[in-house]
Amino acid sequence: MIDLSQYGTCTLDDDGCTTCGDAAVPVRVRSCNGTTARCEDRTGQEATISTDFVDDVRPGDVLLVHASVALSRIRPGA
Amino acid sequence: MKYVDEFRDAAIIRETAAEIERTVGNRRYRIMEVCGGHTHSIYRHGLHDLLPEAIELVHGPGCPVCVLPMGRVDDGLNLAAREGLTFAAFGDMMRVPGTEGSALERKAAGMDVRIVYSPLDALQIARQNPDLDVMFFAIGFETTAPSTALTLRQAKADGVENFSVFCNHITIMPALRALLDDPTMELDGFVGPGHVSTVIGCAPYEEIPERYGKPVVVSGFEPLDLLQSILLVVRQLEAGEASVENQYGRAVTWEGNAAAMAAMDEVFTPRPTFEWRGLGGIPQSALAVDDAYAAWDAEARYAVPGVSVMEPEEACCGSVLKGQMKPSACPLFGTECTPEQPVGALMVSSEGACAAQYEYARHEAMA
Repeated sequence: MIDLSQYGTCTLDDDGCTTCGDAAVPVRVRSCNGTTARCEDRTGQEATISTDFVDDVRPGDVLLVHASVALSRIRPGA
Repeated sequence: MKYVDEFRDAAIIRETAAEIERTVGNRRYRIMEVCGGHTHSIYRHGLHDLLPEAIELVHGPGCPVCVLPMGRVDDGLNLAAREGLTFAAFGDMMRVPGTEGSALERKAAGMDVRIVYSPLDALQIARQNPDLDVMFFAIGFETTAPSTALTLRQAKADGVENFSVFCNHITIMPALRALLDDPTMELDGFVGPGHVSTVIGCAPYEEIPERYGKPVVVSGFEPLDLLQSILLVVRQLEAGEASVENQYGRAVTWEGNAAAMAAMDEVFTPRPTFEWRGLGGIPQSALAVDDAYAAWDAEARYAVPGVSVMEPEEACCGSVLKGQMKPSACPLFGTECTPEQPVGALMVSSEGACAAQYEYARHEAMA
């Protein structure tokens, strides 16, 4: 399983400087519901994330999240 | 590489640093890391100490809290106080000094101030409290602007009338252009921002090698990411080349996030000019809420005085922001200006150059 922390050490409750915007939180998708997904960070903490900007999100995907909105799907090995 | 340990493996990191030293030859290079997250990581992991003297890292303007002029902070806080609004903002905005105190000090004096994690949370407060008028103080580069755009879309779709946005979103390319057009800057290359680039991609940076002949390498945040990116910049410089490279391919695509950029285009419109702390007015460098969303634009809904405030004279925020002065060279650093009692905004955000140096390297700096 991919180690989430290689995409940043931030977690859902400790995101460095939110405002800066360069503190994105890597999370793993647990379940999807329309344009939101239930996700967990590397510590196991969960949150509901908006997935409006990332197509075809599926359980197991790793997303980079900023301010509760997913911005990117990780491409392992890229 | 699959696990974070490899990005922090001491042997690989030392080898990469040695490779930079071998590559750099006899020249000296000034390389700007644009992003505040990179500045923080460089200090946190002590990367300065691993680099040869020939490499000077210059901290860039990529911390939105740091570059927001005090006048905008005053405008937002005064507007909320005058109209009896609920002032919602990210936690890092709370301690930024305004002329009459920070948001947290205003809260202590009785103003309704809420710390939110996302603009969507501010919208939720408005939904749950129809008797409140909630204003979200929006700030951030292209990483944060999509979440504000999504929030405004939802507010409009659901007709949430007791919600507005005081928009201070800024964009990275006009700021880099302003730095490159400044003849005093003398920069040789750039370590490009990581998560901004998840949204805008790498393509916008192509202007920098094409127009200015400087290399750009978009970088991740781990120590090895940053050293590899510096190595890639130095290799280009030594070869007399200039192009955009993507070191952070595991998160950043060349073309960026089209859906996020489309949402920003729909909801925002570029401002003719916007004032940056330390850099002055930069054309087309910030976003205003588009007329189609005027009902949720605090600046359209309420009168905003547009105050201009002189920054504290003795603080050297502008010179530090432009990389012309190290944080510790400011006479206030670590004495009158500390993270607990900040005078300038660069000491507030954990990713501000002053706060990062104070947190991880103040003993050497002040020795």
